[in-house]
Amino acid sequence: MARFIIRSLISTAITLLIVSIALFLLLEVGSGDITLKILGVFSTPEQRASYRNQLGLDAPVYLRYVDWLIGNEWRAERNVGYDLVTVPNPQTGEDEWWADVNGQLTRWSLEDGELFALTRQEDGSTIASPADVTWAVGENGQESFWGVDDKNNAVKWVRGEGAEVWVLTKAGLRKEGDGPQDYIPLRKGLIKGDAGKSLQYGRPVSLTLWPRVRNTLILAGAAFLVVMPIALVLGIIAGINEGRPIDRFISVTSLGATATPEFVTGIFLIMIFGIWLKWLPAVAIFTSPDAIFENPLLLALPVLTLTAVELGYVIRMTRASMVEVMGSPYIRTAILKGMPYWRVVVRHAVRNALMAPITIIMLHVNWLIGGVVVVETIFGYPGLGKYIFDAAIFGDVNAVEAAAMLTVTIAVLTRILGDLAYTFLNPRIRYA
Amino acid sequence: MKMYWSDKACFVIRSKVKVNFDAPDLVLSQENDMAVAQPTAGAVPVQGPSRWAKIWKSLSIVFESRIATVGLGLVLFWVLLGLISLVWTPYPPNASDFVQNLPPNSTNWLGTDHLGRDVLSRLMVGTQVILLKTRLPWGGLIFPIGVAIWGVIGSVLVGSFLGLNAGYRGGWWDQVTMQFLDALIAFPVIVLYLVVIAALGQGDLVVILAITVTGAPGVARLVRSLALDIKTRDYIRAAETRGESPWYIMFVEILPNARGPLLVDSMLRVGYAIFAIGTLGFLGIGLPPPDPDWGNMVNEARKNIFSNQWAVIWPSLAIASLVIGLNLFADGLREELTRYQK
Repeated sequence: MARFIIRSLISTAITLLIVSIALFLLLEVGSGDITLKILGVFSTPEQRASYRNQLGLDAPVYLRYVDWLIGNEWRAERNVGYDLVTVPNPQTGEDEWWADVNGQLTRWSLEDGELFALTRQEDGSTIASPADVTWAVGENGQESFWGVDDKNNAVKWVRGEGAEVWVLTKAGLRKEGDGPQDYIPLRKGLIKGDAGKSLQYGRPVSLTLWPRVRNTLILAGAAFLVVMPIALVLGIIAGINEGRPIDRFISVTSLGATATPEFVTGIFLIMIFGIWLKWLPAVAIFTSPDAIFENPLLLALPVLTLTAVELGYVIRMTRASMVEVMGSPYIRTAILKGMPYWRVVVRHAVRNALMAPITIIMLHVNWLIGGVVVVETIFGYPGLGKYIFDAAIFGDVNAVEAAAMLTVTIAVLTRILGDLAYTFLNPRIRYA
Repeated sequence: MKMYWSDKACFVIRSKVKVNFDAPDLVLSQENDMAVAQPTAGAVPVQGPSRWAKIWKSLSIVFESRIATVGLGLVLFWVLLGLISLVWTPYPPNASDFVQNLPPNSTNWLGTDHLGRDVLSRLMVGTQVILLKTRLPWGGLIFPIGVAIWGVIGSVLVGSFLGLNAGYRGGWWDQVTMQFLDALIAFPVIVLYLVVIAALGQGDLVVILAITVTGAPGVARLVRSLALDIKTRDYIRAAETRGESPWYIMFVEILPNARGPLLVDSMLRVGYAIFAIGTLGFLGIGLPPPDPDWGNMVNEARKNIFSNQWAVIWPSLAIASLVIGLNLFADGLREELTRYQK
C-alpha cells in the first residue's frame, strides 16, 4: 500500500512537471509579444522593448521557466551580493523585496546620476541617504552596480549612464531618465506560492486568485451536496428496474441532461425561474465580496445548473454499476434463499454498487471544473472559472498559468484520492 | 487475407460517421476468442451476398435499436438542413432585413434576432461550419467536412498512433506515452481549450487543433487497451513469425480489429466536439465570424433575453438536439454491439 502511494505520488509529480512545462511553453512562447497586449497597439517598438526588458522577457526561455517555477532570488543574489528578503507592505499587504545589508533592509534608487540607498524603518517608511556602495568595474571600464529598486526588481545601474526607460503608470507610459540597464523581476516562484503579477490587475496573482477559489468551492460544494443524494437514489431505482419504463425514463432523461451543454441548461433555467416565474435572481451580482453569505439566493440558479449537468452523469454511473451487481450470482443466491427483496437490495447490492460511482465521481472533478467555467460565465459569478476565462481572454499569462496549474493539481490530487478510496472500499483490490 | 485486411483499414479511415459493420462477429469480443481470431469466417466474399446486401446488412444493425434510430434521425435532420443551406436559405443569413427581435411569424418562421436577421437561415447555415466545411485562413479557402469532424479525425489519428505504439510495443514506449497522456488528461478540457486559444488565437484550425489535443488522450487509452488485448491473439503471432514489421502489425493487423469500439467512441467524440464548439462559441472564443455559429448565436441573443427569448431558444435547442442525437446513436450502437458479444 505504501509503495503504491509513493509510486502514484512520484507519477503525479512527473505529471505536474510535464503540465507546467507544456503550459509555460504554450503560453509564454505561443502567445507572442505580451507587451503588445499590455501597452496596446499604439505603443512604439522602443517602448515595447523597454518594457520587455523591465518584465525580464529578454532572458532565455529555460531561465524564465525556472524563474517562474522556483523563483529567481537565488540568481539575483549572486549579482546583488546581499540576501534578498520579502516583507509585506504595511498598507497593501503585498510582499516587497528588500536587500538585507548587514541587518538593514535596503533598496536603491538613482536620481540625477546619484545613487541613493533607501533604508526601511520599523513602520515601513524609508529614509534616503547617499549610497555608499562599491561599483564593480567591467571590462570596458564601465562602473556598474546591482541592487534592488523600488518596483521589486533586481536591477543593474551603470554609473553616469542612467538609461531612459518607459515606465507604465496608471496614467499611461512615462519616459524616465536615470533608469537601470538591466532587470531581473524578483519572484519567489510558483511552488512557493508566488505566481507573479497579474498583467490585468497589476497585483500579485495569488492575492486576486484566492477569493475566487473560495467562491468556487462554495458553488461546487453546494452543487455536490445537492447532486449526490438525488443521483444515487435515482440511479439505484433505475438500476433495480432495468428495462422497465421507469428505468427508460430515468436513463433517457439523464442522457439528455448530460448531453445538453451547460450553457443551454443555464439559459433555460434563467428563462424559467428568472424571467417567466421571477422566483430567483437571473444573474449573480456581487455587491460586496461576501454577497453570497448575505443573499444565498444568488447561488440558487448556478447550483441548479451545475446540478442538472452533473446529475445525469452520476445517475448513469450508478445505474450501470447497480445493473451489474444485480446480475451477479451472489444476488441471485440471496434471492433464491428467500431473503426479502428489499433486504437483498439494501444490504447486499447497494453497498457494492456504490463503490464504482463514488470513486468515479472523484475522477470527475475535471469535468466539474469545466462546468464551473461556463456556469460562472453565464451568471457572472466571480469564481475561479470566470477568473481563468477572463485571464485567457485578456492574455494574462501569469494568471492563466497559475489558475490552470491550480485546477490541474486539484484534478490530479482528487484522482489519487479516488484511487485510494477505491482500495479502501474494495478489499479485493490490493496494489502491489 | 492480407489484401482483405488492408482493404478494411482504408475502409475504416474513409467512413468516419457512417458505420459499416459487415458482420456482427467482426466486433472485438473479450469473451469469444474465436470471433476475433477468425473474423473473416462469415465475410470472405467467395460466393457471399452482393456488396449492397452487405452494406445494408451492416447498416441494419442501427435500425435494430430504437435509440440508435432516433439518434440517427436527429443527426440526419441537421445534416440535411446543412446540405440544403448550401444551395438555398429562406433569406441571406447575415443581412439585417427585418425588424429586430420578432417572435416567430409567417415571414420569419423562427423569428429574428437582435440585428433583424432571420433566425432560421442562420440556424441552417450554422450547421455548415460544424459538419460540412472548414474555412482555411489562406485566401478564404474552404475545405469540405466540418470542424467537429476534422477535430475527431485528428484525435483518432494521433490517438491511434500513440495507443498502438504504447500497447503493442509496451515497455519504454508505454511508460513514456502514458505519462505524457496522463499529463494531458489532467487538464480540465475547457481549461485546455482556453489555454490553447489564449496562446494561438481564434480560427477554425485552432479549434480543430484544440479538439485534437483534448480528444487524443482518450482515444489513445482506448486503442492501447484494445491493442493489449489483440496482441495476444494467434494471428498476431503468425504475422510476427512471418517477419512483418511492427508498423505493419500495428496498422494492418491490430487497428482494423479495433475498429468497432473505436468507431463508437469517435461517434461520441463528434458529440463532445460539437458540445465543445458550442461552448466555445458561447464564450465568444469559438469559430470566427462571418458564418453564424450556434454557440455564438446563443451568446449574442442572451444579452436581449428579457425582451426576446425565442432567439435564445432556437440555437440552444439546435445544439442540444444534435449532441443528444449523436449520443443516442452511439449509445444505441454500443448496446447492439455488446449484445452481439454476449
